[in-house]
This record gives sequence, C-alpha cells and structure tokens, in this order.
Amino acid sequence: MSQSLRPYLTAVRYSLEAALTLTNFSSQEVERHNRPEIEVPNTSAELLLQPMHIARSETEQVLIEPSVNSVRISLMVKQADEIEQILVHKFTIFLEQRAEAFHILRRVPIKGYSISFLITNKHTESMKTGKLVDFIIEFMEEVDKEISEMKLFLNARARFVANEYLGEFVY
Amino acid sequence: MLHLQSSNLLIQKTFTEALEANKSGEPLTFDRIISDFDYTNFHVSNDPENKTQLFLSVRTKAWNSILNCDSNGSQGVLSYLAAKYTKLAGITVAGGSESGFDYTLAIDLNQLTGETIVQLSLLKTNIMSYPFYLAFQEFATLSTQNPTTTTVTVGRFNEETGNVSSIDVSSTLYTIQYRDNENMFIKPSNDRITVIFETFFQDETDKVFGKVFLQEFVDARKRNRDIQSAPQVIFSTEPPLELQNHLPKNNEVNDEASKRFITFVLFPRHFANDELQFKTVSQLTLFRNYFHYHIKCSKAYMHSRMRYRVDTFVKVLNRAKIDEDDEENGNTETKRTITGRKMVY
Repeated sequence: MSQSLRPYLTAVRYSLEAALTLTNFSSQEVERHNRPEIEVPNTSAELLLQPMHIARSETEQVLIEPSVNSVRISLMVKQADEIEQILVHKFTIFLEQRAEAFHILRRVPIKGYSISFLITNKHTESMKTGKLVDFIIEFMEEVDKEISEMKLFLNARARFVANEYLGEFVY
Repeated sequence: MLHLQSSNLLIQKTFTEALEANKSGEPLTFDRIISDFDYTNFHVSNDPENKTQLFLSVRTKAWNSILNCDSNGSQGVLSYLAAKYTKLAGITVAGGSESGFDYTLAIDLNQLTGETIVQLSLLKTNIMSYPFYLAFQEFATLSTQNPTTTTVTVGRFNEETGNVSSIDVSSTLYTIQYRDNENMFIKPSNDRITVIFETFFQDETDKVFGKVFLQEFVDARKRNRDIQSAPQVIFSTEPPLELQNHLPKNNEVNDEASKRFITFVLFPRHFANDELQFKTVSQLTLFRNYFHYHIKCSKAYMHSRMRYRVDTFVKVLNRAKIDEDDEENGNTETKRTITGRKMVY
C-alpha cells in the first residue's frame, strides 16, 4: 500500500466510525413512515449532520453524509485515462445491477461520484458496524487494484494479440 | 483459439460427412446454410435427381465490389475462381449461380478427395483474394516499368513521397466493401502494396478497447525484433493520403468521427511466391475479424472477472452480518417446544 493511501483510508475509517451511530427514527412529517432521512427532501435541519468530505486527490474522494438514521457514503474512484473511465463505469454498473446482494449499495451513485452506499439503522442493527466499516475500506482498496489489474490485462492481451498476428507474416 | 482459421470448418465437416456417406453407398440429402464472417453465407444442397451431385453456393457482401475491381467486368473473377477450382478433382463450375447466391460450384461426390474439400472450405478466402491477385499482378508490371522512382527508403514509410510516387505510377485502388460501412482498400505501387482497412466502432467501450489494440499493432513491430519483417502498420483517424482522392466527400460528420484507418504496408517479401501470397491474403482478410474477436474476448474475460470480484465483495459483506446462531449460543435460555422448534414471542 502506498504511503499516501494509508492515512487516507485511516481518515475514512475514523470518519465512518464516527458517522455510524444511527438510531431508529420515525418520520416527523409523514405518519407511520420510517425513511432514511438523508435521502428525503428535509425541512428539519436537526436531522442532518455535517457532511464530511475526505479527498486524497482530485480524482479520489469520499463524501460521507450522516443523518440521524442513515449515512450515505459516496466514493469517487480514480480514473486516470479513457480506459480507466470505461472500466470504472463498467465495474460500478455491474455492481449496481447486483445491489440486492450488497444490501447497502445504492443503485444510483449521487452526482459526481462513481458509486454510493446507503447505510440505515436497519443495517447497523443486523450487521456489525465495525465489519461494515471494514467492508467499505476493503472495497476502496480492492476497486483501485481491480481497475489497474484489468487495465494491465487489456494492454497485455492487446500486445500479445498484435505480436501473434504480425508474427504470422514473418517467413 | 488464438488465430482464426481461414477455412470454414463446417463446410469441411459437411463434405467429409457427404463423402463418407457416399462411400458407404447411401448418399445423404443436404440442404444446409452455413454462415461465415462478414455476412457470408454458404448453401450446400443436392441435385434433386442425382444425390452424388452436390452444389456449394456462396453469397458474400463483398461480391459486387469484387466484380467491380476488374476493368474487364465480371469475367475476371469468374475465370480466376474457375481456374482455381476446376483443376481439382470432382469440381466443376455450375452453369449459373443458384438464385439468391453469387457463385455456385458443382461437386461430384464420386471424385471428391480430401484436398478438394480443404479447397472448398477456402472458397470465401479465394473470392476475397481476387483483388489482391490483381494488385500483385499490377505490382509486378509496375516494378519492372518504373524502377527509378523507388526513392522511398524501405522500412520507413514516407507518406509524402509514397503518395507522390504512387500517384505518378498508378491510380488504381481496389475497394472491397465487405461490410455495410467498412471497406478494405488495396493500392499497388511500384515498390509496395498498401492495404487499408476502414473500420468503425459502434460501441463506446469497443472504441476505447479498439484504440488500445490498434496502438499495440502499430507498436508491436517496433518493440519486438523478431517480427521486424512483418508489414508495417499505421493507424490513423484521418483517411490516409492514398484514399483522399477516392473517398466520397459527402460522408456524415458523425459517421466520420468514429472511423479508424489501419494501413498495412506489404513489401515484396510478403508476396514473393504463391504460397506467401496465399498466407498474406488469408491473414489480411481475417484482420478485422481477428481484431474484433479479441476485443470481444477481452470484454468477456473482464465480465467473468467482475463476476468473481462481486462474489468476494459479497463474502466480505456477509462477514458483517450478525450470526443468529452465535447469539443463541450466548443466550442458552432460548425456549424450545418439545419438537425442537424455537419459541417466538
């Protein structure tokens, strides 16, 4: 792990731990509704907490938006060039199509970010908070690794294929 | 399967089957449509009266443009194919082509041999090779006519001089329209033959992947000393100078933007004799298929990889779930009914 990645991930970890203190909270506006307050247009400012924005670079950022009963975490995955853009896009779409398996994954990322998670009090009640944080951190590490591996693979394959094709012309 | 075969395996199998059945005395009835790359279809059928007489018809998108390659009209390609096939045992050219198809061969099963079957399966390549054959011939005459203009240093393609000398020498450009929007151009000149592929990508992902692959084709020769003698590959988004006088100007701008041009520069060593000519042509005619095939393959690989990665992520997430059994072990007071069911309040 590179030197600058560790403090970044540590910052995200502590911020998440701080943000994941959720309680059950029924809607103040609609009777018998219990909804993630971060996701609904809200008139009561006391339900939303201060959002936290952690940036490693212009292309790698995390936005944590806590509220009384839900936290929304949005990741911006590094996209250095055209290929990485395509790969990140493909990968996040692929994950979002399988959002049910992930419970906490949001089907659509919020604007400007690659992928978003939504953790509600239901999730923290049925899952261990510490492990949830571990998951997010591991996800951040793995996504970068996966994208760069896929890119390397693509280049390697292209090189091999081109070599083999042109090799057929050598007599 | 790294390389694509220039022969059609299904044709080979069909004819081998037909041959075996005929040998055992019970000729089979055939009516098969066999597909190949680039909208090419083959049809294998029997003569209604005589089951030992088979017909192999082909229809290919490139046919019309190949007919136009020859200034003498359609006779050129027909006699070229006839010369290739009638010398083989058991094959005659059918009187007229089957309706809906471009070219038909008649095959007599009693005289069919293994070698003939291989040649039959190469029918598409042979059709596509006709413009190349014309280009090779033209190259031969040009190179003797005008040997003094070979000022271009071999190995380094100079577009300026290349273009000037080729305009001086020849203005022929063979076009093979082998797909709806994609063409192949062959330009003979006095010291080389230039083959230009025009290709375009419908999909945004393909475009990016294609760029990576094409760049590697261009760089492969520079990087690897073993393949120094392979044809030079040039990649551009603009039509190369060879084509600028020939391409219609009224193409849509949108269409034009995603067009890519790949130029192969063949030097005399790539077509010195018949065998090399055949190898070169069959490689080149499969270039687009090979290249797109590998793009699709990488996409498929990425997909399976992502699938695997999703599984590992789900596993990590499931670790977070509070296990109900764990809770139970901690709390031994759980009440159960006599049948072992859990009491729920």
